[in-house]
Order: sequence, then structure tokens, then C-alpha cells
Amino acid sequence: MYFEIDSSNGVPVWEQVYRQVAFAIANGIIVPGEHVPSVRSLARDLAINPNTVVRAYRDLQAEGVVEVIRGSGMMVTKAARGKCKTIRTRVFKHQMKSMIQEARRSQLSDDEIRQLLERSLK
Amino acid sequence: MEPVIEVKNVSKSFRKTVALNGVSFSVPAGVVFAVLGENGAGKTTLIRSLLGLERPSSGNMKMLGMDPVKDGLAIRRQTGYVSDSPALYQWMTVRQIAHFTASFYPDGFLASFEQLASELDLPLDERIKNLSKGGRAKVSLALSMAHQPELLILDEPTSGLDAIVRRHFLNSMIDIAAEGRTVLLSSHQIGEVERVADWVAVIRQGELVACDELANLKARFERWIITVDSPESAIETSGVHLVNHEGKGRKRQQLVLFDVAAGAIEKFRQQENIVDVEVHCASLEEIFVALMKSQALASVSYPLVKPAGVAGEFSNALTGHGKTIVPSVVDAEDQP
Repeated sequence: MYFEIDSSNGVPVWEQVYRQVAFAIANGIIVPGEHVPSVRSLARDLAINPNTVVRAYRDLQAEGVVEVIRGSGMMVTKAARGKCKTIRTRVFKHQMKSMIQEARRSQLSDDEIRQLLERSLK
Repeated sequence: MEPVIEVKNVSKSFRKTVALNGVSFSVPAGVVFAVLGENGAGKTTLIRSLLGLERPSSGNMKMLGMDPVKDGLAIRRQTGYVSDSPALYQWMTVRQIAHFTASFYPDGFLASFEQLASELDLPLDERIKNLSKGGRAKVSLALSMAHQPELLILDEPTSGLDAIVRRHFLNSMIDIAAEGRTVLLSSHQIGEVERVADWVAVIRQGELVACDELANLKARFERWIITVDSPESAIETSGVHLVNHEGKGRKRQQLVLFDVAAGAIEKFRQQENIVDVEVHCASLEEIFVALMKSQALASVSYPLVKPAGVAGEFSNALTGHGKTIVPSVVDAEDQP
């Protein structure tokens, strides 16, 4: 598993951690029953504040993606994969919406946007 | 939990120069608190005052529940401090300087130092004078952390150091924060600050212009890239809190704004001469540059400083030391 942070891309760092963990679970890279990296080791690997990792894990915990196992860290729940797929859809839907908004503001017609999307999908 | 550092209305003047002017903030326990500011903004004066190495002209401070003016020595014993130019005995070896420093601290210092030294790949039998700049910085870091201080203060520790040494410093800060201890960091590496800091304070010409949790601060700023129909078009910015405006007269201009009201952008787009407005998040660097450049700052008091937590009763030690120097007002050019 490999995480990467870009502190200047406009997405808050905690959210980048949240998304990458969720996507890794959605893609089956981390499976239910497996532990997610500890706060400290992930903070060190990414050179980010541990509280930022805590914030991301707290949100994942609130969504039932990970659970705290006393004494051993955080484990991916049984229902996590489905939940993470929902998260993934939500994130990309949001990104597409803002892209479409930008295209509309640049005076592209919806037909042109649709064509572009079709062409990019090939 | 009681704040680790409390600063209340602190000013410091050196002759005609005002280094700090009415600075107030507090640092909660267990955070990485970064102080940003241009060279000469007053960061080092602030840090030295907190450690009892400078006496403020007026105001009150508390460090770890103690008064730096009276208890400077006790504070320095419980704090780790890496200055921007660490003074180390050049003729000593790394091991010797550790032994020497250990005598000022409780038992356990040496064992802890040796562990840190091995993590930092420090050669114990090398003389300080033969170490590179990065090597000396690592010695200084290990010395300042070996007594497990509750508070670590780093004053531009990584300026001029390579990426590997900077990474060692980052990791040390991360470890300390993970253990619930506190780091006060002054740095010019805004990208690094953006990664590791929980709280950010910005000092400009001795005054605190922003102090908040990094996430809050960033959430309050937006960067708009606007396209106007002709270079002569004037844009109406009265409806928004403008911090900085770049690119006058050109077609594309950048505005940095804070506390943008709901609906403000629609109103803005309705202006006849505006072709397009793109909204971007502002990075910490952009916020910093905007705060440094903002002309309005001198006259407008910006509500960007989160009020310091409920401060405990300050002992009035400072005013008890005779006269309180009121900082004189000087021209901007005279300031450091």
C-alpha cells in the first residue's frame, strides 16, 4: 500500500488520507479484518501531523469503515468494502460536478461536454 | 487542559525598533504550533522572550505554568530548544558534548541521547568541528530532545539544510506530537508547516496578524481568479473582504479573500465587466503572501486572530520591575 500527500492541491490533507484509505479498501487493496497502518507510522511515512491522520481515521470510524480493536489498533470492518465504494462514488461525483461547472462557465455547451466525456472514456 | 504557552499583550523594543507589539496568543498542549513571518518580523525575539533570554518591555507570559522573567532557568530545563544558529563546543566529540550536556539534566539523558543519535545516524566519536552543517543541526536536535521535554522549540531549525536532515526534523516533530507533547516551530518552509502544523500564527512587523488552527485558517480563505473584459475595467470589491489583489489592469487578476459570504460570488459575477470567476482554495503560502502584502492590514484590525483561551491569572512580575517601556511608533522603514 502506498499513500501520497500533496499539501498544495486544495484538498485538505486529512481528506486526502481519508480518500486514499477508503479507495484502497474499495479496490480491495486493504481487506476486511486487516489493520490499517497505525497513526504514528502513517504520519511518519507521509511526514504529516499525527492529528491529521487521527482526523481521517475518526471519520472512517464514524462511517463504520474501520473499528478500534483494543490494544492492537484499527481494523477494517466486514461491511467496509461496500461503504468505501459508496464513498468513492460520492467523491468522483463531486469532482465531475465541479468539472462540469467549470466547463459550463467556460461556455462549453452540454453537448460538447458530453462529447468530450465520451471521447475521454475511449 | 491548561495551555503550554500563554502570551498576553507582549511588546519588546530595542531602542527605536519595535520587535513585538502587543502580541497575545496561547498554545494548547499536544499540538504543533508554527510561527510564520518574514525575516526580522519578531519570531526569534518572541521565542527568546519565552525562554527568558530576553525581557519583554511590557506584557505577561507564561510557559509551562511559569513566568519566563523569573523562572527562565527552570523553563529552559524543561524545554528543548534548537536555535537557528546552535552554539556547540567545536573541539568536543558528539559523545563528549552529550556527557557535558547530560550533567544539567536528570538521569537517563545519555541513554536517550544515544538512541536519538543512532536514529539520526550521528557518529558519536566525531568532533563537532568536523561535522557538516546538517550534522551539527542533528546534534543540536538530539541534545534538545534527550531529556524528553514537554515542549520542543525549533527556531528555523532547517534553514539551509538538505532534504534528508529536514525529514529527520519533521519525523521528530511528528513523534513528539504523537506522544501528546508540544512543538513550537518557527520556519520559512511553508510547505513543511502546511504538512505538520496544527496551529499557525503569522507575525508581521512585530504584530500578530493571524493565529488559528491551520484548517480553520485555510477554510476562511478563497482565491478567485477573475477575467475582466478589458484591461481598463475597474472591479467593484466592496462586497467582499479583500486581502490581496494582484494583476491590476491586466485581463486576469487574482483576489485573495476571507470569510466570503454566501451568494457573494454570484453578485460578483453579475458585474458587467467580469467575464469569469474561478474559485480556488488558497494554499498556506498564498495566504501568507497575501497577509504580508495586504495594504489594508495596517489600518484594519483583522479578525483572524482567535482570541487566546481563558488565561489564568498572570503574576504581575513585569510591571513590578520598575518602568514599563511603551513601544514608540516608528516608520515602517525603520522596522526590522
